[in-house]
Amino acid sequence: MKPLLAGLCLLSLLAFFSAPAMSDAIFPYKVTTAVLPNGLKVIMIPMDAPGLVAYYSVVRTGSRDEIEPGRSGYAHFFEHMMFRGTKKYPGSVYDSIVTSIGASANAYTSDDITAFHLDFAAEDLPKVIEIESDRFQNLSYDLPAFQTESGAIYGEYRKGVTNPFEMLDEKIRDVAFDAHTYKHTTIGFERDIKAMPEGYDYSLGFFKRFYRPENVVILIVGDIKPDAVMKLVKQYYGPWQKGYQPADVKPEPPQTAERTGDVSYPGKTLPILDMGYKGDAFDPASTDFVAAGVFGELAFGSTSELYKRLYIKEQRVDALSASIPFNRDMPLFEIVARIKKDDDIAPIRGEIEKTIAQFQSTPVDAQRLAGVKKRSRYEFLMALDTPDRVAAHLAQVVAITGGIDAIDAYYTTLAKITPGDVMHAANKYFVPARRTTVVLKGVAQ
Amino acid sequence: MKTTRCIPAVIAAAFSLMTLGEASVKTDNTVLLPVKNDPTICFRIWFKTGSQNDPAGKEGLAAVTASMLTDASTRAHSYEQILDLLYPLAASYDASVSTEMTVIYGRVHRDNLGDYYPLFLDAITSPAFTQDDLDRIKSLTLNYVENTLRYSSDEELGKAVLYDDIFAGTPYGHITDGLVSGVKSITLDDVRAFYRTYYTKDNVVIGLGGGYDAALLARLQRDLAKLPAGKPAAVPPPKPAALSGFRATIVQKDAPATAISMGVPIDILRGTKDWYALAIANSWLGEHRNSSSHLYQVIREERGLNYGDYSYIENFPGGGRRTVPPQNVCRRQQIFEIWIRPVPAEAGHFALRAALREYEHLVEHGLTKEQFALTRSFLKKYVLNYAPTTMARLGYALDDRFYGIAGSHLAKFRSMMGTLTLNDVNAAIRKHLHYGDMSIAIVAKDAKAFRDELVSDLPSPITYRTKKPDAIIAEDREIAVFPVKIAQEKISVVPVTEEFK
Repeated sequence: MKPLLAGLCLLSLLAFFSAPAMSDAIFPYKVTTAVLPNGLKVIMIPMDAPGLVAYYSVVRTGSRDEIEPGRSGYAHFFEHMMFRGTKKYPGSVYDSIVTSIGASANAYTSDDITAFHLDFAAEDLPKVIEIESDRFQNLSYDLPAFQTESGAIYGEYRKGVTNPFEMLDEKIRDVAFDAHTYKHTTIGFERDIKAMPEGYDYSLGFFKRFYRPENVVILIVGDIKPDAVMKLVKQYYGPWQKGYQPADVKPEPPQTAERTGDVSYPGKTLPILDMGYKGDAFDPASTDFVAAGVFGELAFGSTSELYKRLYIKEQRVDALSASIPFNRDMPLFEIVARIKKDDDIAPIRGEIEKTIAQFQSTPVDAQRLAGVKKRSRYEFLMALDTPDRVAAHLAQVVAITGGIDAIDAYYTTLAKITPGDVMHAANKYFVPARRTTVVLKGVAQ
Repeated sequence: MKTTRCIPAVIAAAFSLMTLGEASVKTDNTVLLPVKNDPTICFRIWFKTGSQNDPAGKEGLAAVTASMLTDASTRAHSYEQILDLLYPLAASYDASVSTEMTVIYGRVHRDNLGDYYPLFLDAITSPAFTQDDLDRIKSLTLNYVENTLRYSSDEELGKAVLYDDIFAGTPYGHITDGLVSGVKSITLDDVRAFYRTYYTKDNVVIGLGGGYDAALLARLQRDLAKLPAGKPAAVPPPKPAALSGFRATIVQKDAPATAISMGVPIDILRGTKDWYALAIANSWLGEHRNSSSHLYQVIREERGLNYGDYSYIENFPGGGRRTVPPQNVCRRQQIFEIWIRPVPAEAGHFALRAALREYEHLVEHGLTKEQFALTRSFLKKYVLNYAPTTMARLGYALDDRFYGIAGSHLAKFRSMMGTLTLNDVNAAIRKHLHYGDMSIAIVAKDAKAFRDELVSDLPSPITYRTKKPDAIIAEDREIAVFPVKIAQEKISVVPVTEEFK
């Protein structure tokens, strides 16, 4: 079935990495972990994928770490700069090596992570370790290269800015957060992107503070032999100097009253209602956190009473969903609806609030709860079929927690969730004092 | 070093450098890709129809009909019930509709096959076709065309306008989703008639992959044989009007930046030696979403004008969302295409010139020995990324059937990289590409100003906020005056609200 609202995933990058499951020890592969004396952690997962390897360098820094005013967007900018090369392998040489081995190479950034990933043939692993370790230790770029890359960043902003969901995300964060850096999106405020060409010195500091072994985890999945891999890792990453300086990310003070905002989209769109509630940081042992994810599925997912009524029967919305993201700090738990008519925005909002109230006072059906647990287990298993998909699936949890133990912990908690837990989570998080409501409407007709 | 866990692997995608694309078994109406260790089963049921079969005035009917199978009620279950039944299985099914192909596909863990199969089969053989479902699906489609496509992504808009222009007047001449008027006019009777004509046992190819057993295959064949008989009339391959020089469609909208796509029909399809030779040239010029793309290097990497610049010799829908080619979007007529992601308005003319200049250079001079060697080496391994999963490989196996490729396209792709020579590549460029004819689609805030720039062909110098190397500045001088003159009568300025009507 068609994803109704592809843009929604942008609101919560890697939101439901997978819903809940039944027992502990769900992760099906043997995992070997090593930590070098400089603090660099290496997670190796051999799997039956003859000849293929996925290599993820997970930097545990994202737009969350952009604490200085006027510097939103730098984690992402820095992701780009990492392709500008070193003295030994200048950017063009790095590119031609990656090209010559036919690797699929890319990178991404979100709130809590900057990840660099390559998929390639197993025989090329030594070369990949060499070039990746080189750029993480010896990145070197001059002012013109930095300023040219800032143009590409602006280009990335421009291609996305026409998407109403990106505008909505920018607004709801800005309204909901005062102190915490989740106030801004990963791409950053346009005014900060415009000023990026002047930030060369700041960018050098960014590298020195965050691109350090204690803040990086290497994930290597596929046709590998951990002992042999570790010899190379020690050789190439061993000399990397410690020096991570955690960003002093200010905690968000408790919200005491509902907030609201409006967005005028300079095009034509159906109105979109976004209700974000201050949630909790990812905590796999927390019954409340895990139950909040179950609540989102049961109250607003494709099998919910509200979805069936508003989307299928009455056809008053053409999309409805909730996202309970996995974040290092407290994110927004969001409920989003795209509504057919402007004058139905308030009534739909009323329907969403009524649904929340119902879940706050009535335990969920045990069979539906069991369905969520069963689905999540199979969803998780079915997603682990190639080295890249395994690594991609784990990267976010690695960035947030520093390892992958949280996965089993999460599923263990999930297996124990009761209808009462779901009710408790609904009462804890989904209350007006935690809420920020933003409505986006188009202006062109 | 510590080992945290040792649990037997439950999933093993049997996939190898040596066996990419092997093992598909093809009979008249069946394409099989058994993967013994795969605990999942993949279905791809291909009906030989697509938007080329949309009746005039009903543009969008193929796509709406497919959604009426996969996103709607069956005679056994309401859509709500289907969602409930599928949910715990972590499985779903969907339809992929392109110009010539419609594929109903789904994947399920073998533990859940028993519950899944009847739902999947019912969707194909026993749709309910209710008015409520039709209303909902039409509303979603109209929202996509009228709002999302027109307003939310200027680069996707540009690509759609390009294809519409090149294939105007042919069965390829409208987007798969349909035209606003066409979708609005679709009735349940239209859907029923389309389904009766194209969803027949004589018009289906069964694709089955993963860890299925013989009993499932026999059951699927038996069940789909219950579809009514009928061989729909073939649609002749489209004959797009020949291009004569440059022409442009400039879409006027409140765009924050300028998006450009351009293309020209080519006379070659995958499977032939020349296609693989041309694939090397194209990869060098503009490998999709890859910094090895020369256009990317010139426009983004050296000048910072945008987020990326690529070229294609096969249709590549959804390029902004995916890094490797999609499956089951085969066409009997392809175009060579260049995609310039949005650039600042003041650099639009310059970026267009830069791209055309590089294209002309490729056509006139071919690749050098070094460019050839590097690109060939790249592709030989890079194509492994095209189909890492059983589902993707099954998709490729169906595509092989479409193009009449004996064996596997991807395997052939790799082996060709070992045998093609620089001469082969440059000969293929000379034979299949030429410079001078091009349809150009532009999305711009000030469309008339852009039109005047193209008509006048005056220099379009750009300035940078930063110092650039002398070599770049010198090259910029050449780009700024590179001739791209277009007569005013060959340029249409179209308000965005007029597109896809």
